[in-house]
Amino acid sequence: MSVLEVRNLSKRFGSLVAVRDISLSVESGELRAVIGPNGAGKTTFFNLISGFLAPSAGSILFDGRDVIGVPPHRRVGLGIARTFQITEIFPELTVFENIRIVTEVAAGYRLRPWLAAAEKAEVRRRIDETLALAALSGKAGRLVGELAHGDQRAAEIAMALALKPRLLLLDEPTAGMGDQETYEITQLIRRLHRDRKLTIVLIEHDMRVVFHLADRITVLDQGSFLAEGTPQEIAANEAVQTAYLGQAA
Amino acid sequence: MTTAEHRRLAVLAAIWAALIFAPYWMPLFGGYTALGSRVLVLGLGAMSLNFLLGFTGVLSFGHAAWFGLGAYACGLTLKFITPSTPLGLLAGTLVGGIAGALLGALLVRRRGVYFAMVTIAFGQVFYYIAFQWSSVTGGDDGLRGFARQPLDFKLFQIDLLHNDLAFYYFVLVGFAAAVAIMAFILRSPFGRTMIAIRENERRARFLGIPIELHIWIAFTLSCFFMAFAGALYALLNNFADPRVLHYSLSGDFVIMAVMGGMRTFWGPLLGAVVFVVLQDYLSSVTVNWMSFIGILIVLIVLFFPRGILGLLWQRRAA
Amino acid sequence: MLQLIFFNVTNGLIIGAFYALMAIGLSLILNLSGVINFAHGGFLVIGGYLAYALTPRLGFWGALIVAPFLTALIGFAVERLLIRRLYGRDPLYSLLLTFGLAFIIEDGTRQIWGANGLPFSVPAALTSPLSYQFFFITGYRMFMVAVVAIVVALLFVLLRYTRIGVRIRAGTLDLETVAALGVNVRALRSLNFAVGIFLAGLAGVLAAGQIGLEPTMGDGLLMPSFIAIIVGGVGSLTGTLLGGLLIGVASGLTAVIFPSASEAVIYVMMAIVLLVRPRGLLGEEGMLT
Repeated sequence: MSVLEVRNLSKRFGSLVAVRDISLSVESGELRAVIGPNGAGKTTFFNLISGFLAPSAGSILFDGRDVIGVPPHRRVGLGIARTFQITEIFPELTVFENIRIVTEVAAGYRLRPWLAAAEKAEVRRRIDETLALAALSGKAGRLVGELAHGDQRAAEIAMALALKPRLLLLDEPTAGMGDQETYEITQLIRRLHRDRKLTIVLIEHDMRVVFHLADRITVLDQGSFLAEGTPQEIAANEAVQTAYLGQAA
Repeated sequence: MTTAEHRRLAVLAAIWAALIFAPYWMPLFGGYTALGSRVLVLGLGAMSLNFLLGFTGVLSFGHAAWFGLGAYACGLTLKFITPSTPLGLLAGTLVGGIAGALLGALLVRRRGVYFAMVTIAFGQVFYYIAFQWSSVTGGDDGLRGFARQPLDFKLFQIDLLHNDLAFYYFVLVGFAAAVAIMAFILRSPFGRTMIAIRENERRARFLGIPIELHIWIAFTLSCFFMAFAGALYALLNNFADPRVLHYSLSGDFVIMAVMGGMRTFWGPLLGAVVFVVLQDYLSSVTVNWMSFIGILIVLIVLFFPRGILGLLWQRRAA
Repeated sequence: MLQLIFFNVTNGLIIGAFYALMAIGLSLILNLSGVINFAHGGFLVIGGYLAYALTPRLGFWGALIVAPFLTALIGFAVERLLIRRLYGRDPLYSLLLTFGLAFIIEDGTRQIWGANGLPFSVPAALTSPLSYQFFFITGYRMFMVAVVAIVVALLFVLLRYTRIGVRIRAGTLDLETVAALGVNVRALRSLNFAVGIFLAGLAGVLAAGQIGLEPTMGDGLLMPSFIAIIVGGVGSLTGTLLGGLLIGVASGLTAVIFPSASEAVIYVMMAIVLLVRPRGLLGEEGMLT
């Protein structure tokens, strides 16, 4: 069973069709990149999968289970975690505190007035683990709002990780980053994919990142499905090239 | 222990030392014990509000309602039901807290300025009732005819009414208990979700935190603390009048919290000290104290939004 | 009995018109700038007292026209110098600021004109009752309602058909887009604020003619204005208008049956609205939450 299966998904805003009849399926442990020129409907697509928008038609199956109608915060509970185009973090808390909050919520402790020593130790262990994974251990005591953009993004991804997701949705993780930061984030995502075997769906504009990381690529254009395949197949696909080049012209 | 923790403990020790010995060093500055009690009670009120405002980020501007309810419930209990100080306190706390819990359920669906408006309006409902229902509450003249009763421990009694010093320490014990509970909650996983909601509500929601529920809990807790402070206030004055329900008192609490430092734990107490002293001083010196307070508010909002402690924190971090 | 009801309902409508005038000004400012103007009552007071100061030179009619404009000018200055700095911040701060301003205005008024009430003279032509049958509907009250009706109508026309009006309405819904379209959002906010204050100032002049002048005369109108907005629906000016009239009428009707509760009834209405339809009668879901 695929982790994520989308069938004939559409979203209409009045007469404007943002997403038209999209189908795809993502297998466990796969890293899928969703690309397409501006206005292709990628973020709308993400919003549909993570529950921020309700589809006009079609179905979304997560681990075989229909999630349409399930609000975003419940989808988190089911195992879908996502990051946003504009980094969503808790700016005036430290990296450690940011991850601690997520870890405690993920462990079901959000209403607890206190924790037993064993529970505290376990939470601590998980936080350290997440920090190490995101290569932020050295920066744990810094305020997230004061970090460099790349580190903020890494922190945001770390927070998503702390939720122990089955499916990780990354919305333009390298947006606005320079080469060095892009490299570091790419390495992070690769670690998550290779070492942790996480299932990841990624929206990206930076083709280097896409071709470096993706197992498979889905291309959208103007809200519709255009092509899907391995990076090699997509690179050779003429329709894809026209869609992108047509934009530039 | 790290130096940071050392410093924290030192500061804490200093604060409590100052509070415990207040009746002795205050007179040196022209203060007196009853003033200290007043500052403690209002400070607790400001801290209770800050529990919600500064730590959860919820803009409640009608919080005096719970303070006033606590005061009236305590006074009414002492006057009509039983002359027992602890029971009066308990009644005040419960009435205010439960009312807050009930109304909170109604209000938490809204947030931001709209929530502020609604809390103000609801606060005024209680003001209006206290004003009109004069047969019970004494109307504009206020609720009189009750006084704090001595604490009866069978073997000995502590006179709270005539002994200002004893009453001060009584209030301090109550203050300490409330503050300890507050601190405990803020350090817990629940307290951390409150802070998360303040920092980025959207993000908190998308972590799976049911925002409305958590805000309702925080709101209810702060109402209980507030009502407790209000009950203490009634005991302090042996009197309760509609003013303790008016939104201008809510405004006073907000100012204390902001002035002292909204995002700090002890800031509101400091704000209360400054505010009470200032108000006392200004009203004895000039007829236009209202303008001065108004100008002070404007200046703080424009230039010192982080409050006194907030400024100190920044200074240290930089 | 019928006449009593009629009397009170009409009275209620007149009061309601007044509430509506205040509430609409408050609503304008709230909708576009997200600011709860605690000083709105204070601007009413300024309007009234300015009219009082201007009447010796300009007469009643002159004062009626000029005082609101002057008040609006003061409001414009306040927005420009003080409130504007707080837009990016937590709404708490602008709330506190207007709260402080209210103090300053009340005390300042007391300082300049004294704490006691002052009389405000109105042309005799207006004070005479309309007819013997409807003796309680004095000309002045009808005049007030007429002024409110005209001004509100003009406002709605302004909002609907002029460029500025359209921008204000669009800005209420989506300020970012409006800014992206090249509109000077800051100027828009200042202007919008001034319009809201104009209405408060006008209310002050009208009130002065009815109840005389007093530094605290604005206080009693602030709460009903809030409630008018909550009942009518946040974000909708028509709703606010409706809300104001409704609570006025409810207040008037209650005065027939249960006189001492006529003020309480508006709070009851608010509670009912919050329970049954939290967004208000004409409010839109998601406004200002």
